[in-house]
Amino acid sequence: MRSIDLITAEQTKRWTGWRRRRGFDPSALLILVILIVLALIIILPLFLPWFFVFKTRLEFARYPWALPKQIMWTNFKEAWTAVKIDQGFINTVQVCIGAIVCTVPSAAMAGYIFARYRNRWTEVMFYVILTGYFVPVQMVLIPLHKLNGQLGLLDTLPGVFLPIAAFGIPFWTIIYRSFFRSLPSELAEAARIDGAGHLGVFLRVMLPLATPATVLATLLVFIGAWSDYLLTLIMINNQKLFTMQMRVAQFINAYGTDNMPRYAAAAVIAAAPTLLLYIIGNRWILRGTLAGALKG
Amino acid sequence: MSGSPDAAPLAQANWHEVPRKKKYDYGRLIFQLLFLLPAVAFLLVFMFYPIEETFRTSLMQTSGVGESTYIGLENYRALIFGVHSEEFRAGFVHVLIWAFWSIVIQIPLAFFIAFSLVAYKSRFTGVLRVVYYMSSIIPSTIVAMLGRFVFAPKFGVIATLSKTLGWTWLARIDFLGDPGNVFWSLFAIATWAYIGFGIVYLMANIEQISAEIREAAELDGANRFQYAVYVVAPMVSYPIRILAIINTVGCLKLFDIVYLMTQGGPRYSSTTLAVVLYRQGFVNWHYGLAAAIGVVIFLMSLFLSVAQFSLQRRGGDIA
Repeated sequence: MRSIDLITAEQTKRWTGWRRRRGFDPSALLILVILIVLALIIILPLFLPWFFVFKTRLEFARYPWALPKQIMWTNFKEAWTAVKIDQGFINTVQVCIGAIVCTVPSAAMAGYIFARYRNRWTEVMFYVILTGYFVPVQMVLIPLHKLNGQLGLLDTLPGVFLPIAAFGIPFWTIIYRSFFRSLPSELAEAARIDGAGHLGVFLRVMLPLATPATVLATLLVFIGAWSDYLLTLIMINNQKLFTMQMRVAQFINAYGTDNMPRYAAAAVIAAAPTLLLYIIGNRWILRGTLAGALKG
Repeated sequence: MSGSPDAAPLAQANWHEVPRKKKYDYGRLIFQLLFLLPAVAFLLVFMFYPIEETFRTSLMQTSGVGESTYIGLENYRALIFGVHSEEFRAGFVHVLIWAFWSIVIQIPLAFFIAFSLVAYKSRFTGVLRVVYYMSSIIPSTIVAMLGRFVFAPKFGVIATLSKTLGWTWLARIDFLGDPGNVFWSLFAIATWAYIGFGIVYLMANIEQISAEIREAAELDGANRFQYAVYVVAPMVSYPIRILAIINTVGCLKLFDIVYLMTQGGPRYSSTTLAVVLYRQGFVNWHYGLAAAIGVVIFLMSLFLSVAQFSLQRRGGDIA
């Protein structure tokens, strides 16, 4: 039940570093320098655009690394109108909400059954759903496209988030199952004695206890839907329904890197929402990633 | 039921498994069915039915609309030996090379960073971990955008920097247009984008190692390097293997970055299986061919996933 350890941050005596020696340790300094250099490599592509964004093309060509002569926002304005990220934002949020609403309750319910109502046929069903975890969405693109055509879901946002949900449910079912299994059954028993039915126990006792798992699922499903490109690319043709990632892709293809200051401004704009999200929620995001990776 | 009806079963620990009454509890069954219904319905409609269709379509000649004719394994033959073999083989080989180098380069790098972060715990550790994972959260479209920003000819960061420094040899390198370089440029970008998960995952596993083991190693006079190579690395060998499989499956799925930066080109020098699938299916409208590629991706990732699952089952979850 490693995921549970991580969700509840329950720590036992764990290894937290080599015993510190007295005095100066040159190897520690060297390692720290290497680690900081590597961290800079991670940050630099996100940071470097700021060198260019306030310059004209001519200024960029002559003094790319100098401070800009004046702070001018024309590049940002041009990039903003070219990327149209504000239009994409609303569609992206709709896709995210749709994916969350379809994924999280379904997974919570299924996970609850697999954890608390174990018998032969639920075990079989669990393995059926588990196989879904191994299927890459890339495999079924062609039939999905055809199916959405038959269901009238092409060029609609549900056409994007319903498949996203289907491919997310197996994973979150596994997480919910191990979470519900780790909860003590005494509370549920007490509720049963008080006369609560199956549904009552789930809604009033077990689901509130599973709030940490629900928060993680919501957050990570949100991020997954937020980043999706491939499914949107296939399902959406109508520009009005383009998500943020589609807008970014459109910008990459339509406007080259020849006007570098504008391109840099577009990169800053495109990356900003995600970075903001990460700065606010990095604790939860890291924890959720680990809970997923180390599922018990 | 007579007397105090529920007392006996509820005394058991597994209250939900025990009530074995003479009369079958239909409410319980209906509850289970209703609760499994949404998940199963989603999977049936948007996953299992499409899987079946993929297999069926891979045996057809069809463009999605109009007639489709059964042609047996002709699509697979065309991919492996026939007219489309050059593109398919390029995609297939790139996936394998990509997986190979990601295991040889990315995993040792991730292990080095993860071990150093744990072994040299300082006040920077938390911040560094957050920074290392930052690039992993960025959507792949924006990764591709930044990749072009760095590697673009003439105006990219590398080109600009080399002009400023007067390194003409570097300015002359075409990172994305030269078939010899394009793979490595994309590989560098993918490493940048995906290394965070490996670091965070290995860090979590290394932190689980108990303090006693470290003390024992220290008493035996091991230094940190020996400790990393002879104690920690074997202890996280399962996570490392799982990471290798996750990386390989990721290579099978690799699409966004490659497609947005080079569309698999120049010619087929950077294409991957997923890109070939997309191009055949949604650019050339060869649905049958694309479905056949889908089957290949499916079988490969199924094999890898079963391996991963059995590793995790064998207590490989954490060393």
